[in-house]
Amino acid sequence: MLHSETPLGEGIFYRFPMNHIFPISISIACLFLILSPVMKADNPPKKISLSDFPAAAVEEVVVPVPSEIFAVLDKLGNPNWKGQLRDGKVRTPEDRSRTALLLGNVIAEGFVAVEAEDAERVKELGRQVLTLAEAINVRKSVIARSKSITDKADQRDWKGVRAEFDGALQDVRGAMQELNDQDLSQLVSLGGWLRGTEVLTSIVTNGFSKDGTELLHQPELVNYFDRCIGSMGGRLRKNPLVTSIRDVLRKIGPIVNEGGDKITLEQVKSIHDLTHGVNQQIVQGTPGN
Amino acid sequence: MKFLPFCRSSSLTQRFVIVAMALVAWSPCIVYATVDDALSFAYEAALPYYKQGYSIRKDAWGGDLGVRDKKAMSSQLFKGNNYWFLMATDVKGASLSVHIYDDSGNLVDAESWQKGRFAGARVSPKATGTFFAIVQILKSPEDRTPWALVYGYK
Repeated sequence: MLHSETPLGEGIFYRFPMNHIFPISISIACLFLILSPVMKADNPPKKISLSDFPAAAVEEVVVPVPSEIFAVLDKLGNPNWKGQLRDGKVRTPEDRSRTALLLGNVIAEGFVAVEAEDAERVKELGRQVLTLAEAINVRKSVIARSKSITDKADQRDWKGVRAEFDGALQDVRGAMQELNDQDLSQLVSLGGWLRGTEVLTSIVTNGFSKDGTELLHQPELVNYFDRCIGSMGGRLRKNPLVTSIRDVLRKIGPIVNEGGDKITLEQVKSIHDLTHGVNQQIVQGTPGN
Repeated sequence: MKFLPFCRSSSLTQRFVIVAMALVAWSPCIVYATVDDALSFAYEAALPYYKQGYSIRKDAWGGDLGVRDKKAMSSQLFKGNNYWFLMATDVKGASLSVHIYDDSGNLVDAESWQKGRFAGARVSPKATGTFFAIVQILKSPEDRTPWALVYGYK
């Protein structure tokens, strides 16, 4: 199946009339010329200048899914995940932008519930995902995911539940992009990132280690979210909650711009306080939302 | 096949016009289909790594490039994870490459391979941060070669 074709270099060797017609020296020269692209592929430059790439030749960063970060956290020890869980049921906001942020937030919360191995909380969050998705017209995209989350939580298949939450996040974003709701799609990612960062900084604060702070070194991602908000339509960009989030991103930016090993405990706490504050606004709403 | 009886009753000019109109109408679909095909091949390249326990992201990069053109894809990678980047095209006879560089421009491939229309590179980041997957079309019978890139982590 994969690589069933004859590799390029081999095909050329077999077809080339090496044993007659060409003198050996010409054959070697031709062979070198023909194979040079393949040889280059095997010998990429050890160093490149990124400034050689104009902006149009650089694609925007892809936002990591929560399980990319949780996969690392798994390897760092066994923190008190139950202590990180947020209580209560969220109410669906009327404001679509807050709903999108909350949806991302709730999906990230799902990961915390998985880590805490709290099946009932996982199922509740799966249902909340469905309700919030319905409010922004993408319910259809997550019906199957929501059911799978419940089924896999009952089976205590935590790896499976994690995959379903990841899938829900990507499906929701995909459905929104199909509806030309790119801005809301970005807000879902941003909501997830904000809750994930709040939890991550709490864990790192409680068991401060350089490996933990390393995970916060996400300069391009923070800049990317800032740029996303900057390119949103005027109404959305001026939404009080979105404005607060942008302020938070601009405060976090210089901290995470430092190398991971240079971030101090005080800075980790500062990021935690900033993200906690804005996540509370996402869950509870602010005046005008 | 559905248009065949209608074409038979048409003159050569009519046939030409119908075919031309059909091509114009379908041309965007043809372009998208080719990029989608490249993506299918990229997922195919990712399959062995999925079987090794890598989670493959649904988000993917893609587009089309001229021969020797390069493009950089920025990515936030985390120390502690392993990543495979898999690139492919559906164009027969094309060859391409993908390699990973850190934000200072240093090559950080832990390993890489390139076989015709498929290429892959693995990275185990020594530090968390921004990385760049540099993709390139090395050779192609087409002026513009559709490509797709996916990645997986564990």
